[in-house]
Amino acid sequence: MKLLQFDGIHKRFGGVAALGGVSGTLEEGEILGLVGPNGSGKSTLINILSGFAEPNEGQITFAGVDVTDTEAHHRFEAGIARTYQIPRPFSSMTARNNVAVSLIFGKTKLHPSDATDRALQWLDFAGLAGFADQSVSELNLHQLKYLELARALASEPRVLFLDEVLAGLNPTEIEESILMIRRIHDLGISLVIVEHVLRVVNALSTRIMALNQGLVIAEGAPEDVMKDPEVVRAYLGSRWKHA
Amino acid sequence: MNRPTVVRLTGFSVLALALWFLPALQGPLGFPIFYLLFGYSLLFWFAQASSWNMFTGFSGYFSFGQGAFYGVGVYTTGVLASKQGWPLIAAIPVAGVLAAVLGLSLGFVVFRLRRLQGEIFALVTLAVAFVVAAIARVSSTIDGGSGIALNNVQLPEFLGAYPSMMFRLGLIIATVTIFAAATIQHSRLGWGLFSINDDEAVAESLGVPTFRHKMMAFGLSAFFAGLSGAVHAIQISYITIEDVFSIRIPLFVIVMSVLGGMRHWMGPIVGATIIHTLTDRLNRASDLELFGGNVTVSLDHLNDIIIGLLLILMVLAVKDGLWPRLVRRKWVGAGAFIVGILVARLWAPEMSLIGQFVAGELGAVVILLPSSEVIDRWRNWRSTTGSPDAPSDRPGVGASR
Repeated sequence: MKLLQFDGIHKRFGGVAALGGVSGTLEEGEILGLVGPNGSGKSTLINILSGFAEPNEGQITFAGVDVTDTEAHHRFEAGIARTYQIPRPFSSMTARNNVAVSLIFGKTKLHPSDATDRALQWLDFAGLAGFADQSVSELNLHQLKYLELARALASEPRVLFLDEVLAGLNPTEIEESILMIRRIHDLGISLVIVEHVLRVVNALSTRIMALNQGLVIAEGAPEDVMKDPEVVRAYLGSRWKHA
Repeated sequence: MNRPTVVRLTGFSVLALALWFLPALQGPLGFPIFYLLFGYSLLFWFAQASSWNMFTGFSGYFSFGQGAFYGVGVYTTGVLASKQGWPLIAAIPVAGVLAAVLGLSLGFVVFRLRRLQGEIFALVTLAVAFVVAAIARVSSTIDGGSGIALNNVQLPEFLGAYPSMMFRLGLIIATVTIFAAATIQHSRLGWGLFSINDDEAVAESLGVPTFRHKMMAFGLSAFFAGLSGAVHAIQISYITIEDVFSIRIPLFVIVMSVLGGMRHWMGPIVGATIIHTLTDRLNRASDLELFGGNVTVSLDHLNDIIIGLLLILMVLAVKDGLWPRLVRRKWVGAGAFIVGILVARLWAPEMSLIGQFVAGELGAVVILLPSSEVIDRWRNWRSTTGSPDAPSDRPGVGASR
């Protein structure tokens, strides 16, 4: 079943086209890997699909409903969640309250006093139960990324966008995070992962979409996409050839 | 209604009801009638500071619009109760609604535009106060430039003689406003506002209806500021544009809330108590004669300087305000309060009750001002110099509760 569909997404920043008509789908239960060099439009696409930014053109359908003009908070309630490349916790709150916000305003719509109790369950899932009542300023990058996951998962989303969850982590933390992503997928959540570490994308994704300069240049099974000459050129050779 | 709300409602009702009968005890207890009017002024500042804080303190959007909302309240009484002959009691709710309409219209425009966040928002709200003042000055139905005398207003006599009536009106409005602020803080709206304060874009992407929440809080803030202004018109008794729309109201509510702490509904109460009692004593203090009477310093003129110094000190030293410190070190604060009163009694036995109170609260402020961070550093320094084995750095001290 098609969970998410986007057609002809255009996004321009001033005169620069960040996305020049991108279309694609996400099937229920899939892990879609978004790859491409810096500035290819991966993060812009995630921003638009999660409602963080508005497209200039194009249409987005989620679970059969047109959500192109739906505000971000309604998309979150409907089941679209995301994390940020650089973690953005609510810095004046404890870890517990960070997760509680999502429980209060997401699909679960809990009362604040119930939300602070339930938050512990998701902190536990992310291995942060011991930090529940600490200020987020005491968490390291790895823990902050897990806090973002707990916050996104708490509202029981149907699709989760992971924007470079592995960036800045050491090898041990990367291995842990890969296991975590698999656990999240096992909860029945469809995933869209943006990642620079191609080895990881290959290992996790059921399908890959490669972007370059705001356009889809290849799409399909991970091994096919990685062999695609245009993808190889985008990653390795384009600058030399044009220079 | 959930249980904490019921508890809060009961607590507020009992406290307000007890204070309601305070004017009746004036005769038996024999305290000066001036205390009732002083109590009214204090309640007025509670309502103003709390109404400002329920939007700005919680959401982080710095508003100078308080002057405009208060001004709309004052002039609603001026126009409806004085010029049109409405009873005061009927004009008060209309004042609240008009102020809320102004707040919601302003919010509808500025909250839609992302460019108007931060400093620009503060400037826009300040500009609105100027525009409202200009309209009132030009329009002869409102003011027309000559001011309005309120000596013919039909006052609610069932609330008692003038001082009792003012005290009770102030009590009702302050109670309702503070109750609203406390309820908001613990409700979904409060959670939404605090998350907007931290990171609005992330709040929106986690389901917080940011636009609606800002509108609700700004509208309520304006509503209560308007109600409170409508009553205060009676206290001023002769209202002029220059006085009503001066920088005084927006400036004082900011100083009070910052001093007390903006992230808790009690913050503005603590701040308003300190600032109002202090400025009141300075206004009434007799001139200080120095050098054998050769130099006379009027304490009245020191008022603005002290407020200015407090503002500088707070911006530099007090980030989270006094309330969180008072909660953390209540016995230290209470002790310093008592010491302050005792010192005042020994030094000037004839000092009034309010004067002694001011001395006590100054003692508490001085003790509580250094943040826990400074105290921890001092303790560390002492423990390291005292015994070489003591741990020199204790991680996580600042944030532990």
